[in-house]
Amino acid sequence: MQNKSSRRAAASVVALTLVFLAAARPAHSHHSFAAQYDASKPITLTGKVTKVEWTNPHVYVYVDVRDEKTGEVANWALEIGGGPNSLIRQGWSRDSLKTDDVINVEGSLARDGSRLASAQSIVLAATGKRVFAAPIPTETRDANR
Amino acid sequence: MLIVEPPTRARTPVAFFALASLAVLLGVGALPHAAHAQWWENVPRTIPLNAKGEPDLAAPAPRTKDGHPDLSGIWNPHTNKYLRNIAADLKPEDVPFQPWAKQVADERADGSHSREDSDANCLPQGVPRLGAAPAPWKFVQTPDLMVVVHEAFSLWRQIFLDGRKLAANANPTWLGYSTGRWEGNTLVVDTRGFNGKTWLDQVGKPTTEKLHVIERYTRKDFGHMDLEITIDDPGAYTRPWTVKQDLTLLTDTELLEFICNENNRDLAHLPGKSFGE
Repeated sequence: MQNKSSRRAAASVVALTLVFLAAARPAHSHHSFAAQYDASKPITLTGKVTKVEWTNPHVYVYVDVRDEKTGEVANWALEIGGGPNSLIRQGWSRDSLKTDDVINVEGSLARDGSRLASAQSIVLAATGKRVFAAPIPTETRDANR
Repeated sequence: MLIVEPPTRARTPVAFFALASLAVLLGVGALPHAAHAQWWENVPRTIPLNAKGEPDLAAPAPRTKDGHPDLSGIWNPHTNKYLRNIAADLKPEDVPFQPWAKQVADERADGSHSREDSDANCLPQGVPRLGAAPAPWKFVQTPDLMVVVHEAFSLWRQIFLDGRKLAANANPTWLGYSTGRWEGNTLVVDTRGFNGKTWLDQVGKPTTEKLHVIERYTRKDFGHMDLEITIDDPGAYTRPWTVKQDLTLLTDTELLEFICNENNRDLAHLPGKSFGE
């Protein structure tokens, strides 16, 4: 059972977070997020970066992920919500993430079943530093057409 | 380690939300300042500053020598919602679809036709959707011509202010032909001559070659502009309908090259037919 002060503290953190999120500029999305990814299917991946495509319209990061049960290694593609321009405006560069970096990823699975996810969080395992922050875009998917 | 299931929950929903929020806060708050990664240095500032030395977005809107409002600058919608749904602020019944257009929009609404959207194919998004894209755009103003330079897909529009009229047989295009006039402090832009291949938004409201778009730009102060858009397309809608958007001036960036077809990997993962089928 939580006491009132901890609830107030939690509410303060949430409010402050919303302020920061409101200040962030929208990333360009040249396609429908909801058509390509399923926000109700979150995925967590850990692996070594094999390639970074610093290209338009979206930056792609590829990572080798080993299944601990089978030992099999599969290469996953991660779409970053923004392209290079929006990432540059946030202060990132093509050197922010490098081949062989080990990363922890949280994202949403592609609807077509391929080894593809939209990355909402990428954290460097070595330092705990978050790169390419990209929250799920706010969408009013079917409302008010 | 591969996990295809929701992350482990914290002890209580409140605690979980607080921890998640803190993580997001730290992530966003740790972003380096945008100015560190630009390609230029030492840009002379010609914008009004407040007492703190910051851009004064509430300063009066500037005017040109001929007395008209000066709309020059880099503008950006502050939300993605009109790119997603141009009628986001309207009631559903306020979009006057013709029956066939309603059927098309309904079929597209669940995303199952997203591959057929010009935008997903790196083809132009059309007007007015191009201006609602998050990538910023720039008004370059002269007395007789307003040029709109769009970062999105590195596109441009010309808005002629010299009194010319559009020829009846103008070849249909993605962005149409634009003429403009001043009504007081408002720039009124008429655009016709579209190819009917674009959607008004990501959820898929259709257009036809009969589309006529009326944009009304009013710079309220230095940093803010109202935009009223009327969609007049007798090929798809039963009457003209109007939406409102607002734009914010960006003072700390420049337009950057955006060649969409450089690496459009998304298309293969989107449902629907090929474009134009």
